[in-house]
Amino acid sequence: MNWIGLWTLIKREVGRFLSVYKQTILPGVISSGLYIVVFGFTLEQRISEINGVPYTLFILPGLIMMTTLSNATSNTASSMLQMKLLQQLPDLLTAPLSGFEISFAYIVGGALRGFINGLMVIFVGVLLIDMPVQNIWGTLGFIFLVSWAFASMGLLLGQLADTWDHLATMQNFFLTPLSFLGGIFYSIKMLPDWAQTISYFNPIYYMINGIRHTILGVSDSDPMVSFFMALIMTIIFSLSAMLVMKSGKKIKL
Amino acid sequence: MSTPAIQISGLKKSYDNVHALNGVNIQIEQGQFFGLLGPNGAGKTTTINILTGLVRRDTGETNIMGKDTVKDYRFTRSHVGIAAQELSVDWFFPIEKLLYFQAGYYGIPAIKAKPQIDQLLDRMGLMEKKNSRLRQLSGGMKRRFQLAKALVHDPNIIILDEPTAGVDVELRHDLWQYLRDLHSDGKTILLTTHYIEEAELLCEKVAIIDAGKILKEGTPKELTRELGQSGITIHLSGYDKKLIPCLSEYTYTQEKNRLHFSVDDPDSSLPNIIKQISSCDIHIQSVESSSSSLEDVFLHLTGKGINQ
Ligand SMILES: Nc1ncnc2c1ncn2[C@@H]1O[C@H](COP(=O)(O)OP(=O)(O)O)[C@@H](O)[C@H]1O
Ligand SMILES: [Mg+2]
Repeated sequence: MNWIGLWTLIKREVGRFLSVYKQTILPGVISSGLYIVVFGFTLEQRISEINGVPYTLFILPGLIMMTTLSNATSNTASSMLQMKLLQQLPDLLTAPLSGFEISFAYIVGGALRGFINGLMVIFVGVLLIDMPVQNIWGTLGFIFLVSWAFASMGLLLGQLADTWDHLATMQNFFLTPLSFLGGIFYSIKMLPDWAQTISYFNPIYYMINGIRHTILGVSDSDPMVSFFMALIMTIIFSLSAMLVMKSGKKIKL
Repeated sequence: MSTPAIQISGLKKSYDNVHALNGVNIQIEQGQFFGLLGPNGAGKTTTINILTGLVRRDTGETNIMGKDTVKDYRFTRSHVGIAAQELSVDWFFPIEKLLYFQAGYYGIPAIKAKPQIDQLLDRMGLMEKKNSRLRQLSGGMKRRFQLAKALVHDPNIIILDEPTAGVDVELRHDLWQYLRDLHSDGKTILLTTHYIEEAELLCEKVAIIDAGKILKEGTPKELTRELGQSGITIHLSGYDKKLIPCLSEYTYTQEKNRLHFSVDDPDSSLPNIIKQISSCDIHIQSVESSSSSLEDVFLHLTGKGINQ
């Protein structure tokens, strides 16, 4: 192992998003704050409780999850694509770093950004509406797993994408719709049967309900199932990201 | 004999249907200043990128300090510093920070890297710019930064892909001097270029590459002596498009109004060439004849000029 090399690359990846925190940390906090204010002060009076939970509180875990996974994904995806397009990648690929070390460092960077974003939304929730967190370690663990899984997926996307357009397509046509349809704003029990069945095939449904369970103690899916889904995704995405990096697909000719 | 610094044998590489390398053989001894001279598209960058791991070889062997560049990549890469042909861009970090990152990738912690980085910033005239981003640097500064980046881990072998492409004359001479200094410190240098002058002035040994094959290899002296030819350089008053049909029977290189002919016997050829040009109503400004240069060697080997 090239420990110093790995540590250097981690510092670079973390430093990169921290240096532009206005684009990488604040937006998630601000938009979650806005959701809470808008729903809390206007809509909540007109929407009944879901599973015995006031509406604003009900949507918060979903917002945490959406902020976490979209930040984790876009950190690795855009960092990798940017390095590719700006001719920086050769510096890494010609250094004595293994594919495993390079992908690990990228994933740590993305996972940390996802994790920080998730934490910030928790703080916002606790500050603004006294959100209770029933199982704090479960919550943190869940955010960590999801950050890691989606940072790995982002790395995979960044390596395989050729243009910013490819990344935007993934984000707009897959990630955002799957997050919304995963039950951030509703319990899938409110959906017709066929739509419930479709939801079971949406991995983000398990992420949202998993974290909802650790925070509020209620969820549509079995918490163990949610946990295993998160674990499986983490394993599959990190292994594929590392293998694809090692293979050099699209980055070595 | 000690282990060669770089050894390449039977190296082949195709991109889709382009045969970029067709069996390249090169051996570079430790401490040697070696030039890979060839026109655009000859396969210089491909050769170098295979050595450094950016491009995968199809067949053949590539060894650095006696070890395989694929199997023992950690060993071979840590011995090599590379200045790529393409300049990289970075939006996020000041250039000094980038040098520390680069050292880190090679396993050198910041405290240990500091003396070398300070010295490089100083030597490259970048000390005052150390807190600037790359985009705030001039083209020449970017080139110098790139060389500094190649040297942060104080490698024994330095690979430079067209290091002076597109730089002004002053910086070119400064870079040349710096490369000579590195060489006299005992570094092995592999330089690719399509500037004949650069290869002739700097390199102890030159390999001429064209269309993915090494055509000839030797010291600049050996190459030119073996050819036994001489060069004739003619400057015209201006470029005239009648020239091409007029000289269709001769092999020569042309850059604007400068023509260069490679001939066996200048005494008999020179009058003929002058007569032919004059008969086409083209005005000659000056004529020089010289003993052969690498330019003649290249022309003789390929039947074309290096920039054509
Ligand atoms: N990525 C690539 N895809 C397809 N062909 C390529 C690629 N890179 C280089 N080539 C081709 O391979 C040959 C050698 O290119 P290169 O090694 O860049 O030459 P040089 O550095 O001597 O100019 C050229 O014909 C070039 O067009
Ligand atoms: Mg080239």
